[in-house]
Amino acid sequence: MTNTVKYNKILILLIMLILNPAVILSQEIESKDACFNCHAITEGRLKTPADMFKSDIHFRKGISCAACHGGDSKEEDQDKSMSKSAGFIGIPQGLQVSKICAKCHSKEFETLSKSVHGQSSTGTGLVINSCITCHGIHNIIPVKSQGSKVNGANIVSTCANCHNNASLMKKYNPGLKVDQLEKYKTSVHGQKVFSGDSKAANCASCHGNHDIKKVNDPNARVYITNIPSTCNKCHGDANYMREYKIPTDQYEKFRKSVHGIALLEKGDLNAPSCNKCHGDHGASPPEVESISKVCGTCHVLNSQMFQESPHKPAFDKSRTHECSACHSNHEINKPTDEMLGTGEKSVCIKCHKDNDKGFLAAGMMKNMIDSLLKDVELANYFINAAEQKGMDVSDSKFEANDIKKVLITSRTSTHYGDIEKYLNTINEGFKITNKAKIDGEEAVNEYYFRRLGLGVSTIFITIICITLYFKLKKIEKKQKT
Amino acid sequence: MGKNSVNRKVYGWLDERFKLDDLINFMKKKEVPLYRGTIWYYFGGITLLLFIIQVVTGMLLLLYYKGSSELAFESVRFISAKVKFGWLIRSIHSWSANLMVLSAFIHMFSVFFTKAYKKPRELTWYSGFLLLVLAMGFGFTGYLLPWNELSLFATKVGTDIPKTIPLVGGFIMNLLRGGEEVSGSTLSRFFGFHVALLPGIFTVILALHLVLIQRQGMAAPENWDELPESRKKKIPFFPNFLLRDLLIWLIIINVLSVLAVFFPWDLGTKADELAPAPAGIKPEWYFLFMFQTLKIIPAKLFVIDGEVFGVMLFSIAGLLWFLVPLMDRKTKSGEKSYWLIYSGIFVIIYIIVFTIVGFIAK
Repeated sequence: MTNTVKYNKILILLIMLILNPAVILSQEIESKDACFNCHAITEGRLKTPADMFKSDIHFRKGISCAACHGGDSKEEDQDKSMSKSAGFIGIPQGLQVSKICAKCHSKEFETLSKSVHGQSSTGTGLVINSCITCHGIHNIIPVKSQGSKVNGANIVSTCANCHNNASLMKKYNPGLKVDQLEKYKTSVHGQKVFSGDSKAANCASCHGNHDIKKVNDPNARVYITNIPSTCNKCHGDANYMREYKIPTDQYEKFRKSVHGIALLEKGDLNAPSCNKCHGDHGASPPEVESISKVCGTCHVLNSQMFQESPHKPAFDKSRTHECSACHSNHEINKPTDEMLGTGEKSVCIKCHKDNDKGFLAAGMMKNMIDSLLKDVELANYFINAAEQKGMDVSDSKFEANDIKKVLITSRTSTHYGDIEKYLNTINEGFKITNKAKIDGEEAVNEYYFRRLGLGVSTIFITIICITLYFKLKKIEKKQKT
Repeated sequence: MGKNSVNRKVYGWLDERFKLDDLINFMKKKEVPLYRGTIWYYFGGITLLLFIIQVVTGMLLLLYYKGSSELAFESVRFISAKVKFGWLIRSIHSWSANLMVLSAFIHMFSVFFTKAYKKPRELTWYSGFLLLVLAMGFGFTGYLLPWNELSLFATKVGTDIPKTIPLVGGFIMNLLRGGEEVSGSTLSRFFGFHVALLPGIFTVILALHLVLIQRQGMAAPENWDELPESRKKKIPFFPNFLLRDLLIWLIIINVLSVLAVFFPWDLGTKADELAPAPAGIKPEWYFLFMFQTLKIIPAKLFVIDGEVFGVMLFSIAGLLWFLVPLMDRKTKSGEKSYWLIYSGIFVIIYIIVFTIVGFIAK
């Protein structure tokens, strides 16, 4: 590079800087703002604010020190410029800070006041967070600037300043965990953010910024029923997610799944949302071998049975996605008996073919459950028949209720993948249905026995009545003669 | 030794000690007027039969029934479902209870319209009236014993009514309930009333009632004395009337069996003291006319509370009905007391109409 080119470049840069309105404005303030001018030439602690303020967005926009601290910034006499009569307040304290910001940022202040951080929780009247807690003082720069404390790259550590501090959090919410940052570091989102991907989700992506609500507040973006739509803001946006090469139909699938219907339509708060399986701060897709552990947090028995089943080592070996291999992942439908056996809708035939051991076992399991269901129908028929005839079969009905339990355990025990264990469970069902059938049949027989008994006794009493009538007539005839 | 000889020996043994011959001769001499109204005489006997059935089936139920709110419902269900012929005993007990009250009502009105209460049978009327009241008391207390939903709330409504009586209302309600609310204490109390207190009083009054009837004989119709002897048809009490009674008893037993088998008494669902009252709470049919009356009386009648007015109305009507023998001065002097007949007809129509309305009403 020649010297001429070098000088030209410096010249262009200087012209740009001189022509930059912010620079022109700040130079003007520098010359007109007595507070800044004075502090800038002092030393030590009094100089620091002026040094920091040089890069502050407010300074660049021409906002003087007096806008926040009061006083007369045009007056060069310190006694006059910092006099109470000139409105000087010194360092704003407590609520005063946010109220000063609210002079211009009223909307943000209003939102913050309604958020969890805007509440007074220690009884001192002081709110948990003021504007400066997150945005800093004297060196506030635009959010999009790399150096901003609330920029996507920095917000995690800004939040962690408090949320990673156990002794501080104890003051406000002793039950709240302080491991969010550690978990976030393990998440896909965290790893991407820390490697410089500002598109990946940070704290504010899910929790919001000024309007953060408690997790158990139904208006919170991370309230259990709102989580799917919060995640879907990014994960459902095909354009936004293009570079990550992952599907964007998770929400649509989840919405139609048994979990989605339970959570979003029925309002069942025990139903899982996205974070139940993927984690929240440590969100990531479950590893192939840990799917059954994830599902097992709720479906404990099914998981335990699967762990003991011959399927577990086989799935591990073939890198098959455990539970989701049969039940799918986001679009999990209510399991049906058709999933078992060797029929068209069976999931067993995905792997078992040609009359292998598993193929035969699956067919047998399906036949057994079909037989039990037929038996249940028959038992109900007998019990209902007896009930319709006015017989008291409440005990039998009560006992027959256990069949529901057996059906559930039998269907669950298919996860053992072991025909012996399955038979042990389902045979209990046959015992119950047999007893119910016998009880119902006996009650129907008893009904007819009662009628027969009534018929016999009625005939017997009628014969006595007729005999008595003739005896009476005979006596009366005898009395007349 | 022949069968007749054994019977004679046993009879002789008893006769020697208890003078049975005298009793039979008394019954043989006793005569019952035979006329178109003779049929009404049988209702006393029918009521007695049904009471005996009540006592027998009640004692059998007592073998399994448990009078506590935790076990009452289950024990009745056990009787109906598990105990051999338990369903039949329970059903007969319930049906005969209702038929007994019906029969007692018919018996009372027949006595009223045939003027059988007139001198010298005033005491028979008074005792009979008390027996009817006690029979209704049996019904009211027995209704709660299965401890089902309907009986709990019907008892709540029923025991609420005395509360309106000035001064003593609260005391009576507490006495009946064994507390402020209908609860397990009420059940224990009603059980005690049903199987001990009421039967004790009932037996004494019934004995008096029967002794009076046997001593005074059947009341003859109003114009009986004016008839010539040739037109006065009579039958001996023994064996003719007693055998006719027996014949009717057997028919009643047959009817009762058919009802018990074809229409077994429903047990309903177990009472839950904390559950809201189900729709359509109604008392037993024989309280329905009073219940329906109280429902249609306005909440306030001038200065008096509507319910208090209703309770007073029925109390006064009951007292007047009880004192009929004293009030009927015309019959005493041999005249026809039409106003009393019309009053009786009005009462019957009132009871029937209001009972039907009560059944139909939601």
